[in-house]
Amino acid sequence: MRPLARTAGLRALYRRRSVTPLVSAERLTRRFGGGGLFRHARVVHAVSDVSLTVGRAEAVGLVGESGSGKSTIGRLILGLLPVSEGRVLLDGVDIAGPDREGRAERRRRMQLVFQDPYASLDPRRRIGPQIEDGLAINNRVPRAQRRTTIKALLAQVGLTAAHADRFPHEFSGGQRQRVGIARALATSPDFLVADEAVSALDVSVQAQIIALFADLRTRLGIGMLFISHDLKIVRSLCDRVIVLYLGRIMEEGPAEDVLERPKHPYTQALLSASPSLDPTRRRVRILLGGDPPSPSNPPSGCVFRTRCPIAIDACAATPPPLDTVGPNHRVACIRVEV
Amino acid sequence: MIGRVYRSWPFVALAIIAIAAFVTPLLPLSNPLSMDVAHRLARPSASHWLGQDEYGRDVLTRLLWGARVSLLVAATSTAAACILGTALGMIGGLLGPLAEFLAVRSMDIVLCFPPLLLALLVVTLLGPGASTLIPVLALVYLPGFARVAYAGVLAVRSQEYVEAMRVLGASSSRILLRTVLPNIGGPLLVQISLAASSAVVLESGLSFLGLGVVPPASSWGLMIAAARTTMAQAPWLLLWPCLALSVTILTLNAACDALRDANDPHRRLSGRRRLMDALAPGMLPHTGPVLEVQGLTVAIATPGGTIYPVREVSLRLRPGETLAIVGESGSGKSLLGLSIMGLLPLAARPISGAVWVNGNELLRAPESELQRLRGNRMAMVFQDPLSSLNPVHRVGDQIAEVLQAHKRLSNSAAKAKAIALLTRVGIPDPVRRARVFSFEMSGGMRQRAMIAMAVANSPSLLIADEPTTALDVTIQAQVLELMATLKRDGNMGMVFITHSLPVVAEIADTVAVMYAGEIVEHGDAIAVFANPLHPYTAALLRSAPSENGSLPACVPGIVPPINALPPGCIFAPRCDHRRPACEAARPPLVNATPGRMTRCVRWQELQACAPSIGAVA
Amino acid sequence: MAWVLKRIGISLLLVWVVASIVFLAIHLVPGDPAELLLSQGGAAPDQAAVDQLREQLGLDRPLMAQYLRSLGEVVRGDLGESLQDGSSVTGEIVRRLPRTLELIAAAALLALITGLPLGMLAALRRGGIADRLLSIISAAGLALPVFVLGTLMVLLFAQTLHWVSAGGYVPLAQAPGKHFTLLAMPAAAIATGLFSAVFRITRASVLDVSWRDYVRTARAKGLSRHRILTRHILRNALMPVVTVVALHLGTLLGGTVLVEYVFNYPGLSGMLVDAVNARDYPEVQGVVLVISVLFVTLNLAVDLIYGALDPQVRNS
Repeated sequence: MRPLARTAGLRALYRRRSVTPLVSAERLTRRFGGGGLFRHARVVHAVSDVSLTVGRAEAVGLVGESGSGKSTIGRLILGLLPVSEGRVLLDGVDIAGPDREGRAERRRRMQLVFQDPYASLDPRRRIGPQIEDGLAINNRVPRAQRRTTIKALLAQVGLTAAHADRFPHEFSGGQRQRVGIARALATSPDFLVADEAVSALDVSVQAQIIALFADLRTRLGIGMLFISHDLKIVRSLCDRVIVLYLGRIMEEGPAEDVLERPKHPYTQALLSASPSLDPTRRRVRILLGGDPPSPSNPPSGCVFRTRCPIAIDACAATPPPLDTVGPNHRVACIRVEV
Repeated sequence: MIGRVYRSWPFVALAIIAIAAFVTPLLPLSNPLSMDVAHRLARPSASHWLGQDEYGRDVLTRLLWGARVSLLVAATSTAAACILGTALGMIGGLLGPLAEFLAVRSMDIVLCFPPLLLALLVVTLLGPGASTLIPVLALVYLPGFARVAYAGVLAVRSQEYVEAMRVLGASSSRILLRTVLPNIGGPLLVQISLAASSAVVLESGLSFLGLGVVPPASSWGLMIAAARTTMAQAPWLLLWPCLALSVTILTLNAACDALRDANDPHRRLSGRRRLMDALAPGMLPHTGPVLEVQGLTVAIATPGGTIYPVREVSLRLRPGETLAIVGESGSGKSLLGLSIMGLLPLAARPISGAVWVNGNELLRAPESELQRLRGNRMAMVFQDPLSSLNPVHRVGDQIAEVLQAHKRLSNSAAKAKAIALLTRVGIPDPVRRARVFSFEMSGGMRQRAMIAMAVANSPSLLIADEPTTALDVTIQAQVLELMATLKRDGNMGMVFITHSLPVVAEIADTVAVMYAGEIVEHGDAIAVFANPLHPYTAALLRSAPSENGSLPACVPGIVPPINALPPGCIFAPRCDHRRPACEAARPPLVNATPGRMTRCVRWQELQACAPSIGAVA
Repeated sequence: MAWVLKRIGISLLLVWVVASIVFLAIHLVPGDPAELLLSQGGAAPDQAAVDQLREQLGLDRPLMAQYLRSLGEVVRGDLGESLQDGSSVTGEIVRRLPRTLELIAAAALLALITGLPLGMLAALRRGGIADRLLSIISAAGLALPVFVLGTLMVLLFAQTLHWVSAGGYVPLAQAPGKHFTLLAMPAAAIATGLFSAVFRITRASVLDVSWRDYVRTARAKGLSRHRILTRHILRNALMPVVTVVALHLGTLLGGTVLVEYVFNYPGLSGMLVDAVNARDYPEVQGVVLVISVLFVTLNLAVDLIYGALDPQVRNS
């Protein structure tokens, strides 16, 4: 469905890649609450000072537990939530730029795949028209060609043209997730945010969808931000990984480095807590005590210190900076030897 | 579904009433105003089917003209309120807090007045008549429509499929047209029928007081008021308008109920727990293990026929052992757990087999005996601790309750024991936590409280249905650790139901793999993980994300729906090793090696050609 | 506690809003209110009469001054004078209000003590004969407007069977037996609609709650059926019932107007209907204000009951 010109365009873009990443988020901060006539003036920092880049055909994993702000970051990058501070660039251009047409075009190039394959499809509409939404925007694909395009998109995700006339409830969970991906691909995006896109699926189906994502990345050169709580899935799909805790980056770097040789005590605890497939290897775990603190009342200094096994008094003083500990590998912890 | 609703009787009756009112002027009836004082209060006759009123006017004619007025007032005021209210509600829902305040909250002022009084206030100023009634009634119903539309927009706006359209770049008008309107259509229809029925009541009430429709126009309320004065001489005159009014309201109410039911997907099935017949020969009570399940089959009656989501399941659990039941969605693992506890939903019932807990057969036991065992000798932990704890009782009280249900214990002793239990499951500050409500706790804390409740009476059998699925991975690690400790300390047998293979590897001594309602493999956990005998187990293991970063292997196809199972081996359509023999007949669960069972006819061949089919990735 | 104070504050605010609207209503109508009140049947009223009424209602003063004066009078309990005979509106309301309150209380009590237990019974025996019968009765109860029911009751019990007199009122002190006999029919007429609503929502709500996860937990704990019903189902099931009762309060108060008229019961409403017919605006204003304040107060009571039932509401 992509014209030949795309290859030339790709080449040109790859040349630019060394200078400008496909997507870069600079010092994103998102506060909720505060102000309002009848609301309590308690500010919640859902995301604090997060920067990240995603290159063309690159997959970056965003890992964290609930309340870590990982979904919020995905929505900030897509412009679905307004940022409180910071900015998001697509090919070096601010996505919230002033030109109306440019904004629409940038929005087209960035798409989202949802976690819940049930809630993310409208139960009252056939899936054909739902995919067509993406083709109809600004009449991007002429009406006469849409049927063919939908067929091609469905084939792309392993479904057939006959599926277009069915309602979402006629599909299994895995098939629905394929539909969700086809819908995201309808606008021919360069960048996908996959928000826990496989975590609601059964294991045997999960593997199919992971394979589909890997395929889209290599075949179409799509850049991906893969949001997940499952370290092993991130490991199998992503080049780089970013570990979040309470809206802050704890550690980031190449997936293999971070997940094989984690430096931050939180990353270590996270890896240690996730059970292994081998019943003979029941490890002694690093058990974190208690629950994550509330984002509306985070600890001073390092936000992880209240559950950290190696915290010292100095951790409470200032938020630790992201220090480089290896090639592209950075850690926000003052207890890590650089 | 909606189409079927429109063919139900209230809509047919409503259509008949509306058509009758609509064509009244065309019918060969006498003039509703022509008097015939000579025949005042005449009884029904051939020329006047329903009799004549106090001025000798034909009652049937006036009844039909009255219907016209009633329905016209109701329809116009409802339509006006609906259009305006929906618009206001949508504006409030789409444009942010200020618009919400102006368009929706300000409406609430109308709700400070009882509707009839508001109408009377306006009638005093503007005088009676249909032209006053319509705007007043529209005003009265405006807030209702604004609220329904507003709530609808809010509910739809937070739906992921609406967000999906926004990501695609769809314009607000396209989103409104394609998603919001169709989704609030149902609630709006309910509101329309509600308002229309209420408008008919109000209009007739005001007319009855002489403050609504002005004579000589006809209205049911006016007719009742007039007939009331001649009640002693002609009581039947009272009956006709009363009947017409009540039937119309009844029809509108019934239409409202039908619409509401159609919008509410919850359909309740009724039924009673039925005890099963005596045990079949050969099924003798066992006394050894904590739990023994033999040949359990569960049936659910659905509109499309009876389905069997659990078939021929046999299990055995020794004291202190942890048995993991692992399967994907639709495998029947949760129903299995519920049927052991006797907690199956009403539509489902066990139809064959037997379940022994501590030597008591449960499927044939009366409810009173199950009640004595539940929470006492056998207990259960559920997946979602938030919905499984009662929101209106303090957590400590809910724990004390299970203690007092099975032991004679004073209130203070039960409370103290509850606090001790909270301490035991690792809840910090247990004295204060015993006094909080479940919604004030974190997810991990809630599940600990659920576990405290389950182990309160030191059961010998604990069934845990996906107890860590809703939890974060660091919290899951804490809870798994806690469950292992409790089991060790109490020598309790545990059935751990989960979809997660790593969790099984972490906690299980033995494992039973379920697929589409059947156990396909059963055995020691270490042996099953190292050398699976059934291709489905092998496929599951291969498709789980591995630690070395390689892509997981795919299992093609989908789990077959329980009402369309393949004739032979149910895994055959997805199996790489299938032969014609696999699809011919359902394979039995065979004893492969001591303590290991598989439901694969080819397990020996597969073992021979590769040391482990699990390794053939 | 803060929650209770907040609710009371909101209710006071609503009372102020209601008083303001009742005051402003006459000014919101296009044209000269005095002229409007005097024009009957399209004939232009006499200018001298209009001027006199304007002065009597204080319409010749600036709007803000009128507003402040009338608010001040309302706070002091002075609701003005009747246009018909110049008597004090407050005095008349004070005389009639207790009768209306007694009627409402009797009706609500009657509806609740029948509706709640029968609703529960129908839910527990769903599909049974009692359930079906009660469902039909409640559907009929909702379809019969209160004045139709009242009129039919008069026809049946007074006209045909001569069990009771058609209506009227006797003070309690004068003849207690007669007092309650006369109260019974109007109270029953009002109670029927409320009973039907309470019955239906209780039935639906008990059925709904009995499938909740926490009721399954209660069963898993081995609690007796009785304890599950009283401790785990009822309290949660009562919340929607309270909401529905609140929604029906307006109908209930409106119903008293019609019922008092039908049974010739000398409460607030008879006064109101006469006043509307005579276009006696001060009297209408007074009665509407009092009933609306009553409405707001009842809603406050419902809110507080709701808070007592649901800890989540108290804490938010």
